[in-house]
Amino acid sequence: MPTSKPQNLRTLHEISRQDICFAVARVPNSDRLLVPTSDGKVFEINAVNAKGEAKALANHGRYVNAVALADGVAISGGYDNRLIWWDVAKESVIRTVAAHTRQIRQIAVSPDKTKIASVADDMICRVWNVSTGAKLHDLVGHAERTPTNFTTMLYACTFSPDGRHIATGDRIGHIIVWETATGRKVAEMDAPLLYTWDGTQRIRSIGGIRALAFSPDNNQLAAGGVGQIGNVDSLAGPARVEIFDWQKRTRVHEFTGNQGMLTRLIYHPTANWIFGAGGGGNGIALFYDLAKRAMLHQANQPMFVHDAVFNEDYTKLYCVGHNKIAVSELKE
Amino acid sequence: MARSYFCGSGDHAVSRRGFLGALAGAGATAACADMTAIQALATPGVSEDLRRNQKRCILLWLAGGASQMETFDPKPGVSTGGPFQSIQTSSTGVRISELMPKMAARFKDTCVIRSINTRNADHGGGAKLMMRGRPGESNVDYPDLGAVLSRELGLESSQVPDYVSYYFATEGRSMAPGNPGFLGARFGSMDLYSSMVPENIRRTSISAADHVGRAELRGQLNRQFQQGRASLSLDSHQQAYDRVSGIMANEALFDIQREPQRIRDMYGPTLFGQQTLAARRLIEAGVPFIRVGRAWWDSHGQNFETHQEMVPELDHVMSTLLTDLEQRGLLESTLVITLAEFGRTPRINAQLGRDHFASAWSCSLSGCGIKGGTVYGRSDELGNTVAENPVNAGQLFATIYSALGINPHKNYYVGSRPIPLVDPGIEPIRAVLK
Repeated sequence: MPTSKPQNLRTLHEISRQDICFAVARVPNSDRLLVPTSDGKVFEINAVNAKGEAKALANHGRYVNAVALADGVAISGGYDNRLIWWDVAKESVIRTVAAHTRQIRQIAVSPDKTKIASVADDMICRVWNVSTGAKLHDLVGHAERTPTNFTTMLYACTFSPDGRHIATGDRIGHIIVWETATGRKVAEMDAPLLYTWDGTQRIRSIGGIRALAFSPDNNQLAAGGVGQIGNVDSLAGPARVEIFDWQKRTRVHEFTGNQGMLTRLIYHPTANWIFGAGGGGNGIALFYDLAKRAMLHQANQPMFVHDAVFNEDYTKLYCVGHNKIAVSELKE
Repeated sequence: MARSYFCGSGDHAVSRRGFLGALAGAGATAACADMTAIQALATPGVSEDLRRNQKRCILLWLAGGASQMETFDPKPGVSTGGPFQSIQTSSTGVRISELMPKMAARFKDTCVIRSINTRNADHGGGAKLMMRGRPGESNVDYPDLGAVLSRELGLESSQVPDYVSYYFATEGRSMAPGNPGFLGARFGSMDLYSSMVPENIRRTSISAADHVGRAELRGQLNRQFQQGRASLSLDSHQQAYDRVSGIMANEALFDIQREPQRIRDMYGPTLFGQQTLAARRLIEAGVPFIRVGRAWWDSHGQNFETHQEMVPELDHVMSTLLTDLEQRGLLESTLVITLAEFGRTPRINAQLGRDHFASAWSCSLSGCGIKGGTVYGRSDELGNTVAENPVNAGQLFATIYSALGINPHKNYYVGSRPIPLVDPGIEPIRAVLK
């Protein structure tokens, strides 16, 4: 079985798109990607080559931010506040649910594929039964306004590897860990450096927790985004990751990368590195060695990356983003 | 006092003079007895006169360039449209961004112009253009909108400032300063950069009793000196002193803490809300022009989230202001403008931002003299160009002057050179005027 080597990351091909690709889910053991876009639809895209043949599946009619795949059932969500369940093989809609009162930002699927969690700008995380579409819990606890009384956003959610917990992260850098079975809040942490409020020069803010990932051993929780920014007109700050021992509620490590904002964090399941993708002036792909506490490899991507996914053995990387999809390999 | 550069027209003399008598008395009282102008103007006769005759203007200056697509000219469903939908306003067939539900509900007093083409997408150049209504000229220092309105709508011996400008954010402040130009410092802005109350009118070391004592002594000396003399310069000196004294007595005018809690809650806790409430308070007291600078909209990155953060505040504050003015009977005489140096590109860049754009953008005019519930001009399907009824800065300014009852073709004189308020050949947009 091949093993991955981040230092060998190289682009295999790029697929040009007219739209902005906001998220990605991959059909197992294939190059088929489910990609929600600014076109208001979710596309199934064959990423085996640069042609990137695509067919439209679910249609939300507005920007679609999120997609998750659970055993042939895909669930997508976006600015229409709805979750749409659809059968990937049959290319048919299973159900549509008015899930939130504001735009849905992310969807995470539990490791056993029986539940999904959705977060939205109504500042609620909702847990759903994948099979029935029934709502299991409302996880309410993120502030509805920023400390300076502006609208805020709830960007990120993820399940722990054992499925027992869900972590959520918002614009002002607040993280909550919830117990999946009960919906009970079990831990809270803050990563304030992932939120920049400029009360002097521009009187507005930027940033937020855009990506969350539990470590494979379930002990750590990583939060990613962009660090403090001097000029909030753009993403001119360092890509930033903060790692917490979430059960002790303490920050154990932090690191920064090239300029930009991280939108996806993925722990390698066995090796001791964490991957981050995002963008600023350039697209970002970074690999950080957690044992050595040092950057293993950083490379530009051909576009701002909104989401990324690996294949089963982590030797192939699929990044989706602004007008483009990039397929890379990182073989030993 | 004669000013050689002013129009000799008596267009506004009657209303100014008619108002002067009432206010001069009130102002003198204010100066000597520490009674604020706002209290003086609360007397029924004066406030009714103010409401009926005196035109006023509040400029909500959206510094840095708010996006027309996320405010007044949404394009949902097209590639440039962004994620937000449009919503129906209270005016049939007119839709604005879903980020502005409160303005949508009370659109009846507002006209949106969607076809501004000013061809200057530089912050500094654009700001100067949109503050003055025309490009700069090397040998003429044109006054800005506030200075002109201060000259045209202000009272010669007013006891309140004529032009107040709030701009607390540091970004962009120097790009669009108040500029009286050839009108002179008398019509310059009172700039508030860090304090809601002008620092230099706070009495830190001199008591109110000291002020009264000094005023009495000055009056006594003046009377002695004036016996048997007729001096224009002495009159001018006395007017200037009275004006400064009046303004110094107006600390309370700027203090929104004196507003009922209910009113403060209405405007909300943000700085923009507080300053707009102060602007309404100043309008009520007779200040003819206030600019409230809300910076900084320059969303090269994360445009949609920036607007998701800032537009609801604009929506709330602007709709609250219009409703408050209406309830006080002041909306008919007060023009509320939202304007920036430019808009933002239809094209969405890789950081989900929009860049500078001056080819097809929007502003709004509400209240005094404006045909509300309307839209003028149209941008094309993607928002890249003006498709119908292009408007330049001069036309916009001519429309603003006309809405306020000012002849946009009147001349000022710099030496013997006539300087019209707007460049020759430019006409107001009649379709948006009542």
